[in-house]
Amino acid sequence: MIQLDQVSFAYPSQGPTVRDLSFHIRKGEFVALLGANGAGKTTTVRLIDGLIRPTSGRVLIGGADTAGSSVSQRARRVGFLFQNPDRQICKNTVREEILFGLNAVRAEEGPEKLAARTDRVLADFGFTGDEEPFSLSRGQRQRVALASILAAEPEVLILDEPTTGLDYQECCHIMDRIRRMNREQQVTVIMVCHDMEVVLDYVDRALVMAGGRLLADGPVRQIFRDAALMERASILPPQMIDLSLRLDLPGADSPETMADAILAAKGGKPA
Amino acid sequence: MKELFQYVPGQSLLHRLNPVTKLILTIMICAAAFITSSVFFLLGLLAVDLAIGLIAGVARKTLGILRGLMKIAVFLFVLQVLLSRQGTPVFWIITDRGLLTAATVVLRLVVVCMPLALVLAVTRVSDLSNALVQVLHVPYKYAFTLTTAIRFIPQFLEEMSDIMEAQTARGIAFDQARGLKKLGMMLPLCAPLLISSVRRTDQTAAAAEIRGFSLRTSASAFRRYPFHLEDALVLGFCVLLIAASILL
Ligand SMILES: Nc1ncnc2c1ncn2[C@@H]1O[C@H](COP(=O)(O)OP(=O)(O)OP(=O)(O)O)[C@@H](O)[C@H]1O
Ligand SMILES: [Mg+2]
Repeated sequence: MIQLDQVSFAYPSQGPTVRDLSFHIRKGEFVALLGANGAGKTTTVRLIDGLIRPTSGRVLIGGADTAGSSVSQRARRVGFLFQNPDRQICKNTVREEILFGLNAVRAEEGPEKLAARTDRVLADFGFTGDEEPFSLSRGQRQRVALASILAAEPEVLILDEPTTGLDYQECCHIMDRIRRMNREQQVTVIMVCHDMEVVLDYVDRALVMAGGRLLADGPVRQIFRDAALMERASILPPQMIDLSLRLDLPGADSPETMADAILAAKGGKPA
Repeated sequence: MKELFQYVPGQSLLHRLNPVTKLILTIMICAAAFITSSVFFLLGLLAVDLAIGLIAGVARKTLGILRGLMKIAVFLFVLQVLLSRQGTPVFWIITDRGLLTAATVVLRLVVVCMPLALVLAVTRVSDLSNALVQVLHVPYKYAFTLTTAIRFIPQFLEEMSDIMEAQTARGIAFDQARGLKKLGMMLPLCAPLLISSVRRTDQTAAAAEIRGFSLRTSASAFRRYPFHLEDALVLGFCVLLIAASILL
C-alpha cells in the first residue's frame, strides 16, 4: 500500500533530515513510527503524504508515485492528523468543521449523505455538534480534528502523535476507534507515538528511527525486547516488557508473583 | 519569504552602528523620499538603499527584498497610470503626467520600504529595543510592543504556511489554485491564525509578567549603546540627505 524507495530529504539550509529510508507497508497494517525527538518522524510522514517531496528516492501509495498527483487529490484516500490540531480547525462549530472537511473530499455524495455522515461521527465522538472548537481544551480539539478526518473514511490514516494531551480514558477511546477502522475496514494506519504503552497495546509492527535513518523494522514485542536497539534509539520500553525481560535473567525469582499479577490485570498477555 | 525579516549576523559598518543611528538613517531616507518630488533624486535614494545593502554584506537579501517589492510596484504603477487623467496623452489613455506621478509614487514606496527591511537584517531586534529604551528613553513597554510585533512577523508567515499545508492535506486544493483564487481560499483560514495569535499574545504577556516585566526600566539593560565616530558620520550624511531633498 505504501512503499518508500531509498527516500532522502533535506530541509533547505540543513543537512539531510531523512536518509535512505526504504520500507513497505501492506494494506491493513497498523504500524508505529518510533524514535526520539528530532529523529525525523514528522518529516517521514510528511514525505509519505507528499506534503514535502523527497530530495531523492520515491514514495508510492497504492502503487502510484506520489509525485504524480497532488496532495489535495490524495486527501480522500489519505487522512492526515497533524501534531497540532489548531492548524486543521478553522470553523466555528464542530459540525461545520466536520462538514467542511467532508465537502472538500466527498462533495459528490450530496448534502444529505454528508449530513448523515457528520451526525454519525458526532455521535461516535460524543459531540453535540454545536461546540465551539476554539473554546474546547487541547485534548478535545485533538478529537475534533481526528473526527473530521475519520468522517471521510480514508484508506490510509497517518497520525502524528494522536494521543498527546489526552487522558487515559480518552486515549483508549480514540485508539479503540482507530483499531476498529483498521480491523473492520482494512484501513492502513501509520502512527507516530511517544507513548510506548499505547504502542504495545494497539500496534502490530514498529519502525524505529534515529538521526533520520531506519534502525529497525519488526513486530512490536520483538523490537521492545531488543535492549541494545532501545538504547540506541533512546526509547524507554514499556514497564511490562522491561519487567518481563528482567524476569528472564537468572536469579530473578522474587518478583515473579507481582509480574503475574500485572499480567493478569493486563488481560493475561504473554510476556 | 519569512527570511526577509530575519537578522543576518555580521561585522560590517552597518552592523556596528548604534541601533538608534540606524533608525534615524531609515527615518531620514523615508523623510527625504517624501520631501522630494524629483524622480532622479528618488533614483539616487534607491542607489543609497542598494549601497547600504551592499556595505552590510546582505546583497542577496537586498535583491530579494527588491524583487518582492517589484511585484507590488508594478501593480501600483499600472493602476496609477490607468487612473491618472492629467497631462497630454501619450498612448491610448496613458498621459505623460500620469507616467511621471506613477513613477514617483512607486519609487517612493520602494525607497521607503527597503531601509525598513534592511535595518532588521543588520540589527538584532533586542538591540533595537534596548537602545530605544536607553538612548531615547522610550518606555520599555512600547519598545517591547514594537519588537514583539516585529518578531512575530516570520512566525506569522510560518504559521500561515503550516495551516495551508494542513488544509491541503484535508483536501482543500491549495496546491492547485493560484493568484486571486488562492487568496480567496486563504481568507477563511484567518480565523485559526488570529485565534492562535491571540492565544500566543496572551501567553507572551503572562510569561513576561512572571519574569518581572513591569519592573524593567531604562537602567535594567545589561548592554550599553555608546555613539562612535561612525555614528556621527552617518548622522552627518542624514543631514545632507535632507538638505538635498529640500533643495533639489
Ligand atoms: N520546517 C523545517 N525546516 C527546517 N528544519 C526542520 C523543519 N522541520 C523539522 N526540521 C528539522 O528536522 C529534524 C527532524 O524533525 P522532525 O520534526 O521530523 O522530528 P520528529 O521525529 O517528528 O520529532 P518530535 O518527536 O519532536 O515530533 C529536526 O532536527 C528539525 O530541526
Ligand atoms: Mg514530530
